[in-house]
Amino acid sequence: MIDYSKKRFLVVDDFSEFRTSVTGMLRLMAVKNVDAAARGEEAIAMCRNTAYDVILHDYNLGAGKNGQQVLEELHHAGLISPHCIFVMCTAESSQAMVMSALECEPDAYLTKPFNRASLQQRLDKLVERKLALKPILDAQAKRDQNAVLAACEQIMASNKRFAPQCLRHKAGALKALGKHAELEALLTGLIADRPMPWALVMLGNHWLERGELDRAEEIFTSAIRQFPMLPALFDGLAAVHAARGATDKAQEYLEQGLRISPNSLQRQHDLGKLAKANGDYDKAIRAFRQAVDLGRHSQFRNPDDHLDLAASLNEQAGDSAPAPKALLEIRQTLGDLGKTWKDDAQLVARANLLHANALAKTGDQTTADKLVAEASTLMADLPTFFSADVALEVATQLKQLGREEQAEAVLSTCAEMYGDDAKVMDAIAGQTSNPRILNAGVQAQTLNREGIQAYQQQAFPQALELFRQARELQPRNISFALNTAQSLLRLLLSEPSAELKAECQQCLAQVSTIPVTDPRHARYEKLCKTVASL
Amino acid sequence: MSTDPSNEAATPEPSPEGLDFSTVIASTVHDMKNSLGLLMQAYERWSSALPPELAETAERGMIEYESMRLNGMLVQMLGLYKLGVNQLPMRPNWLEVEDFLQEQLARHDEILRSRHIESSYDVEEDGLMAFLDTELVGSVVGNVINNSIRYARSAIELKAWTEEGQLIIAISDDGQGYPPSMIENQSDYVLGINMSTGSTGLGLYFGQRIAELHQRDGVHGRIELRNDGPLGGGEFRIYLP
Repeated sequence: MIDYSKKRFLVVDDFSEFRTSVTGMLRLMAVKNVDAAARGEEAIAMCRNTAYDVILHDYNLGAGKNGQQVLEELHHAGLISPHCIFVMCTAESSQAMVMSALECEPDAYLTKPFNRASLQQRLDKLVERKLALKPILDAQAKRDQNAVLAACEQIMASNKRFAPQCLRHKAGALKALGKHAELEALLTGLIADRPMPWALVMLGNHWLERGELDRAEEIFTSAIRQFPMLPALFDGLAAVHAARGATDKAQEYLEQGLRISPNSLQRQHDLGKLAKANGDYDKAIRAFRQAVDLGRHSQFRNPDDHLDLAASLNEQAGDSAPAPKALLEIRQTLGDLGKTWKDDAQLVARANLLHANALAKTGDQTTADKLVAEASTLMADLPTFFSADVALEVATQLKQLGREEQAEAVLSTCAEMYGDDAKVMDAIAGQTSNPRILNAGVQAQTLNREGIQAYQQQAFPQALELFRQARELQPRNISFALNTAQSLLRLLLSEPSAELKAECQQCLAQVSTIPVTDPRHARYEKLCKTVASL
Repeated sequence: MSTDPSNEAATPEPSPEGLDFSTVIASTVHDMKNSLGLLMQAYERWSSALPPELAETAERGMIEYESMRLNGMLVQMLGLYKLGVNQLPMRPNWLEVEDFLQEQLARHDEILRSRHIESSYDVEEDGLMAFLDTELVGSVVGNVINNSIRYARSAIELKAWTEEGQLIIAISDDGQGYPPSMIENQSDYVLGINMSTGSTGLGLYFGQRIAELHQRDGVHGRIELRNDGPLGGGEFRIYLP
């Protein structure tokens, strides 16, 4: 018999009847501590104050967040311990399962109506399972993937009934450790035995990440034949086609996934982006509208969806003025953005430029000029410069508004910061033929390349010298600063020097405004950590 | 729990000609199921407040049994609709067969007790694992148990074992067994040809379709009706490769 008297329960359902009835069942199981909530938002707030052992959550709460959204937010905000048992209660489990993301599944689904005996039977098993898997969950909480692997092997060896869960955790750990060959062997073996949905999705995504697009496509396609209601498979196929540059097909597959699971914020966001890039503005507008709506109650909301909705409405009109209705929606969407993210100067500036662009086409030059002036003031004093993509977009807007000079200034900064990326330089070249911008980095980039060669040959002092020279020419370049810092660290590890350490810290401080979305952000953080530990 | 199915289901877009009747039925059934769930909860709270001499009546067992049956039929109807439009999600996973059988009996706990029906389960091999969709197979087994409760005199047994790599789950009772004509013509029911017995026939059809969704190396699952069950009555078997 499991002792429930000390466990803390949370029951979430919009019907008070249900809350009372489940609470009654729990009391019969000797549970003393039961809290109840009617809405997901309430449930999240309660989890901030109490670490529950068991959460019984209704899937479809009517208004507001559904159970899956609540679960995802609890995970994201770190409000739910890995030892907590989350049971999704639903009138129709199949639908809830379709909506759930494979990477964020509840511990169990419980179909309503259920009686006390079912509830207890299910909870007994879940408590037992969580307890058996405790070593794995503890290791995961510490992000110690090797310990996860060891715990999996140990549990599987002693109790084969937990093998299915262990194998899944094992696959996750192998992926995190980058042990590609082992992960591949494990997943291929599992799938050859039984078509496990999670393993199929994981193997497909594995091929996708490794650039093996044909193999990824094959897995996803054959899996869809068996599991036509698994949206993650359509996402996978869409990604395969997008990687091949077949954006039309990618859009089609995303739309298929959305037909199964229309309430996915991420999927609507992805569809909007693809449709916009494909020039399919009707679909883009619809998708971004959905994304904005779905984001309203979610901490995963993304301001880009507001901007993209407004931009799609504007671009749909081409060179002519958007229709009054579209114009109104642009104003409302951007107004909403400005209110919600009013402290984000980048966003407000981008919104202003976009709005100005739409208004200029209607002939309202006065308001447009006012908005551009506001944007310029904000941009002159940005704490963090735009990411390369956003900078390019802002330059386009400025150019369309006739602000050539400002556009060039943005491109120039973009070239200095990100110019060592050939793709960024190509995009800049698409917008300007100004040789001062296009060639400004040539000398520094040559130095940087030579520095990398020297570094690879372990000639660290020479590498450092070359990186320093590159950095002197383009102090705002992120790569040059990171490379200089890394060479300094190399030398520091063999021979401590207060002077070099200070220089290293200064390099890192200079690029501390690197956008979190930048692929080099992880490297930046690692360097900061290493230097701090010296 | 919401009464608006569009929140929860990926409802197909309405046909331009007007109402698609099967969609109308499906969303109505969905609401009926929710409604029934609320009704049962209210009933349960009300009856638990009654003094024992009033609570332990034959009517109580009847209400509980029939509402389970009603719920099972509604689930089956939604399942059939989704099968029809190819929207029935299949999510198989590994599970311990013993847990699965316990779960099925637990769902019928009150009814079995109030009807004084002895229930038991038996798994051939300790710790036997199986790969199946718990929700779907559970709804089939649940409906069969419900049916058996109606005919059993005093006992129901769930049994699970493997034969040539297939898992077999058998539900048997000590009732009078299936009518001979039903045993004889079971393939007609299973294929959906004969629906003359109403919900029973439909139940067999549903069971077969769910079993078929489970396949391995070209072998599909199936169901079978027999009358030589271990308790002397009817036996329903579901074979899952």
